[in-house]
Amino acid sequence: MKKFGAIVGNHYKKLLAIFAFLLIWQLVVMLFGIKEFILPSPIKTFSYLFIPELAAQYDWPRHIGTTLMEILIGFTVTAIVGILVAVLMTWSSVLKYIIKPIITLFYSLPKIALAPLFLLWFGYGIIPNVMIAFLVAFFPIVINTAVGLNAVEEDLLDLVHYLHASKWQVLVKIRLPNALPFIFSGFKISATLCVVGAIVGEFIASFQGLGFVLKQAQGLMDTPPMFASLILISILGLSLFGFIALLEQWVMPWQQSRQNR
Amino acid sequence: MMEKLLDIFKRNYQTPLVILIIFLIWQFAVMLFNVREFILPSPLATLAHIFVPQPDANYNWTVHLSTTIYEVLLSFAITSFVGIVIAIIMAWSRLMNDLLLPVFVFINSLPTIAIAPIITLWFGYGILTNVFIAFLVSFFPVVVNVAVGLNKVDEDLLDLVRYLHASKWQIFIKIRIPNSLPYVFAGLKICSTLCVVGAIVGEFIASDKGLGYIIINSQFTMDTPPIFASLILISVIGVVLSWLVSFLEKILMPWYRSETVQV
Repeated sequence: MKKFGAIVGNHYKKLLAIFAFLLIWQLVVMLFGIKEFILPSPIKTFSYLFIPELAAQYDWPRHIGTTLMEILIGFTVTAIVGILVAVLMTWSSVLKYIIKPIITLFYSLPKIALAPLFLLWFGYGIIPNVMIAFLVAFFPIVINTAVGLNAVEEDLLDLVHYLHASKWQVLVKIRLPNALPFIFSGFKISATLCVVGAIVGEFIASFQGLGFVLKQAQGLMDTPPMFASLILISILGLSLFGFIALLEQWVMPWQQSRQNR
Repeated sequence: MMEKLLDIFKRNYQTPLVILIIFLIWQFAVMLFNVREFILPSPLATLAHIFVPQPDANYNWTVHLSTTIYEVLLSFAITSFVGIVIAIIMAWSRLMNDLLLPVFVFINSLPTIAIAPIITLWFGYGILTNVFIAFLVSFFPVVVNVAVGLNKVDEDLLDLVRYLHASKWQIFIKIRIPNSLPYVFAGLKICSTLCVVGAIVGEFIASDKGLGYIIINSQFTMDTPPIFASLILISVIGVVLSWLVSFLEKILMPWYRSETVQV
């Protein structure tokens, strides 16, 4: 409980800012008499989430569950495959020679444009959206990890080489720990990108998920559920981001997070 | 001159080679395994859709291509200008920095693209809507990058020039801005990709022209060659824009070697 108090104490400014933002939003809508189809008030928006009669039109748990699942699977797959590819690239110079130009090429391409193609190939559902999320979020993790694995002091490598360290030992004991800060900053970029990928996939073609609610409500000019979905999407994105930040503190208690600096 | 060209070729041959190999593998895979066109068209069939008039779906490529290019360039210009100006204001005034930077960092970690359907609802279909979406998607990374760059100045250097009675203006022009250039360009490179993403997603959601429109329209009719043709054109736009940024970077900061992807 004390810990909870400390967390609130640390973040009260942010909570205050969010509260102030909602208050201003409510007041602006009320004062200027803004029509609902342009900007619904936050109370109206939240009532679509929590008041049973209004929320019943939208199966929120199902949509949230779908999007959450896409994001989590997408992120997990991206993280594992991304780190693996980066490790392979540092392990073998032949693989590096083959993979590196491909990655540099795809890194700067707008991969999200591939989304409609994935839906055409794999049909509706969770799988194509997970793949879109993967495609969008994959490259930052590979590049960050690879940079981290290579950013090792030459002297240290010389030293352990002299001490007959095996390639495996160098990887596990020196390169990977050294790469952790880079890996986590890659995770943070990819966390947001995974959400982006999943949501855009749902925009383009799907029958469930928060992106689907957004797109469908847009067609009906029904703004309160749009804002409700937007808030839920933001919460999902922030939770994943926060989870990664927590994991970072847990894995690397000695490293002050580089976030916000 | 010849030597210089050869030198440029030696340093950059990898990427074109990779593209060529990908195209060759793609063409042979389609021919060997006899892949149906609605699943994967061959690169030749794809390129034919751009350059040769087609019997079925005939898109006016000039119109669609120029629409997307216009959206991307306009949003890139607006985003980089507004982003840099706001970052400078933030670096100039402590109050603005403390007020705005946390907000921008916060929004930067949100999936901003999700707001696109609301923007289309507010502003209707059209080029300006897509420009606005592209702006919203790419604005925050630029501001955060430039603001970080403007603030990352060697404290000792600042102490020294303060001791020498440098004015705030002089510190800004002679120290902070040159010092922030690498960050500005890193921001602009991110911006160049994100502007393309924003414009295309805007076209996905609602539009009647542009390459994103062609992709969505052809998805409905399961007509894959125009999709691949659009993808190639979109990639070319993105790559050319980021080359332009790198080129500008080399001209403005010949002393600085960009550490793009030093894997």
